[in-house]
Amino acid sequence: MRTRLRIMKHLPETFGGLRLFVLALSLVLVLSFLASDRLLAQGLDPSTIANPPADSWPSYHGDYSGRRHSRLTQITPQNVPSLGLAWAFQTGQAATLKSSPLLVNGVLYFTVPDNVWAIDARSGHQIWHYTYPPNKGLHIGHRGVAMYKEWLYFITPDAHLISLDAKNGKVRWNIQIADVEKGYWSTMSPLVVRDHVIVGVSGDFDNLPGYLRSIDPETGKTQWRWDATPPLGTPHAASGGMTWMTGTYDPDLNRIFWGTGNPTPVLNGKTRPGDNLYTCSIVALNPDTGKLDWAFQPSPHDTHDWDAVETPVLVDADFGGMPRKMLMQTSRNGYFFVLDRTNGKNLLTLPYGPVNWALGVDKEGRPIPNPDKEPAPDGRLIAPDEAGLTNYRSPSFDAKTGLFIVSARPSWSIYFAKPADGTYGWAGADYSVWGKGVLEAIEYQTGKIRWSHELGGDAHAGVLTTDSGLTFTGDNTGNILALDTSSGATLWHAGTGIRMESSPITYALDKRQYVVTGSGGVLFAWALPETIQ
Amino acid sequence: MSALVAAGVLAGLPFLMAQTNTSKAAPPPAVVERGKALFGQDCAFCHGRDAGGGETGPDLTDSELVASDVRGDKIGTVVRNGRPENGMPPFKVSSQQITELAAFLHQQGKKADTRPGGRRGVAVSDLQTGNVEAGKKYFNGAGGCSSCHSPTGDLANIARRHRGLELEKRMLYPRDARATVTVTLPSGKDMTGTLSFKDEFTVGMTDQSGWYQSWPTNQVKYTIHAPAEAHVELLGKYTDDDVHNLMAYVQTLR
Repeated sequence: MRTRLRIMKHLPETFGGLRLFVLALSLVLVLSFLASDRLLAQGLDPSTIANPPADSWPSYHGDYSGRRHSRLTQITPQNVPSLGLAWAFQTGQAATLKSSPLLVNGVLYFTVPDNVWAIDARSGHQIWHYTYPPNKGLHIGHRGVAMYKEWLYFITPDAHLISLDAKNGKVRWNIQIADVEKGYWSTMSPLVVRDHVIVGVSGDFDNLPGYLRSIDPETGKTQWRWDATPPLGTPHAASGGMTWMTGTYDPDLNRIFWGTGNPTPVLNGKTRPGDNLYTCSIVALNPDTGKLDWAFQPSPHDTHDWDAVETPVLVDADFGGMPRKMLMQTSRNGYFFVLDRTNGKNLLTLPYGPVNWALGVDKEGRPIPNPDKEPAPDGRLIAPDEAGLTNYRSPSFDAKTGLFIVSARPSWSIYFAKPADGTYGWAGADYSVWGKGVLEAIEYQTGKIRWSHELGGDAHAGVLTTDSGLTFTGDNTGNILALDTSSGATLWHAGTGIRMESSPITYALDKRQYVVTGSGGVLFAWALPETIQ
Repeated sequence: MSALVAAGVLAGLPFLMAQTNTSKAAPPPAVVERGKALFGQDCAFCHGRDAGGGETGPDLTDSELVASDVRGDKIGTVVRNGRPENGMPPFKVSSQQITELAAFLHQQGKKADTRPGGRRGVAVSDLQTGNVEAGKKYFNGAGGCSSCHSPTGDLANIARRHRGLELEKRMLYPRDARATVTVTLPSGKDMTGTLSFKDEFTVGMTDQSGWYQSWPTNQVKYTIHAPAEAHVELLGKYTDDDVHNLMAYVQTLR
């Protein structure tokens, strides 16, 4: 386009008729390109992440809000019983898929630890496969890549950030974001905000500070670093506050919202009196400077490993009769929080399942931890267990019904800590006693559960909702489920052989809507039969 | 196939011979180091980097299975098959890697036993803070335990069969308790067996001849009898003292 206009600018005025002709020809060319939907691929313009078109899923959460809600309506409660397999892709790896694929220009990019694939989103065939060499660092899971223009950003178990050419998977650069020798690792999918690639870290087995780092997408240079906890060696201060899940972003406020993990030592709180800011917190930062705007702490002085890293979901809607810019989180500690995201003030705090560790809620809306429920030498019976009432699996917010839908796991456990366990790293022991998976649909203004849908003995799958009134998730025995969002009733299911431990995505290509889910080492694309569309 | 197996056997031979010759000696430090590296990548998240327990996974330095393992013969089975009922996935590992993992775990077990400051994790002696009489009262009263259990019946000698943390976890919720199911077939006939599978769409039983049978849940009526689920209701009612007292009483049943 730009080239064509430049040519026209240089045509003399006397050739006005010819100029019109060239202009008309250009329009015809452009229109014909549009009609065949095959403009030259341009990579990903970061400004489209805020409002992604239907044929894309350009970031971990699909858009900046973290709602995991799609406007697509081809698959409906009426026709979903006809949903079937469009294709499946086999990674051939033992590692379980825990990533959300990105979809850009008809290509899906997704990961397991040390592996990135690019596959054709229409057919499921492989375009390229990148493998990172064997390395130290925990290989517990991987959430996926991020994209900026023609570059992918992939974090390795040993906490390096690698920039790959999205066309072919070739490495452009490789930088270290944390030192694996100190005990850091990483699993997360970076967040791209304009020209910032924001990355986080993991590490619970050592007393280490958690932090966020903003990286220049072109050079790999660090733009800023925000530390969750005071410098190591600060008397009576906690370390920790790992930043291992992808945050969300409000372009109007120009704030990123990020959850931080538990303090360390993990189960022994005696050496770290007080709230232990900013561990188990939701923080609002300026993405250009890394400066803290506000913080809210779901778990002050945590001693149960309840990271507050679950998606900070951004919703603009009424609350108590007033239009509000809100942030909602179903936290691992068992409480559902609604905040005003312009200032971090609390609007609602209520448990969404069994919890027994708090004495109540303080005037700022934070649960007050019961000292008698700290881990002890003879054990304390605690709900929920350490894996929490929910965890990394994504929730979804459906605006039409006002429901915040989360894959919950009511659970009980016993927590132990004694002097011999020390004050370094884990510093105690805990054992889950019982748990079960239940999808909970929470009314955001009251915190009441409108419906519950049992998922079996455990819960690992994330949630996706669509404008047609469908909720997609997975149960504990490997079924992918499509539910009626208003009632929770099952409308469709398909067995995949093993439970899903990732969050579903959806997109439309060639006027066909796909829902993509991963379980085990296989990625499945579901669509309506072509005759029904 | 046979050529591959033969090559594998030959390749492993010098190593096996070396092991046989030095079966009483500690494995070479390089083997332990490789085991440590592998453990760090794939196991440490759940079992802790020192194998002393971490997120969700048990302490392997105090595991009876690890203690009775010889060069990976028991550890290998668990690693390769996983323990799906406890949330542990299976891992693809070579025989050599199993030997290395086992060498590391045995070394960690020895270290834990001789650690200055005492053993980490939960010892039987940690679980002795309750009151036997109060526990007995709870068993026969508020807990409602005696409506299903008897100290001279199903629980006779229970504390000889299980001890410590394992006994306490079992007391709070017996994970391996079996439920029974009665399915009413479309013909009107009832079939009863052990519940083998259940999700939203399928109910499966092991029938009285030992065969597995299943039905779509929307085509039959079925009733599940799962008395162990009464334990779940109690979880929300116990105080910590109730748990410790009940544990003290149950430990007397030996």
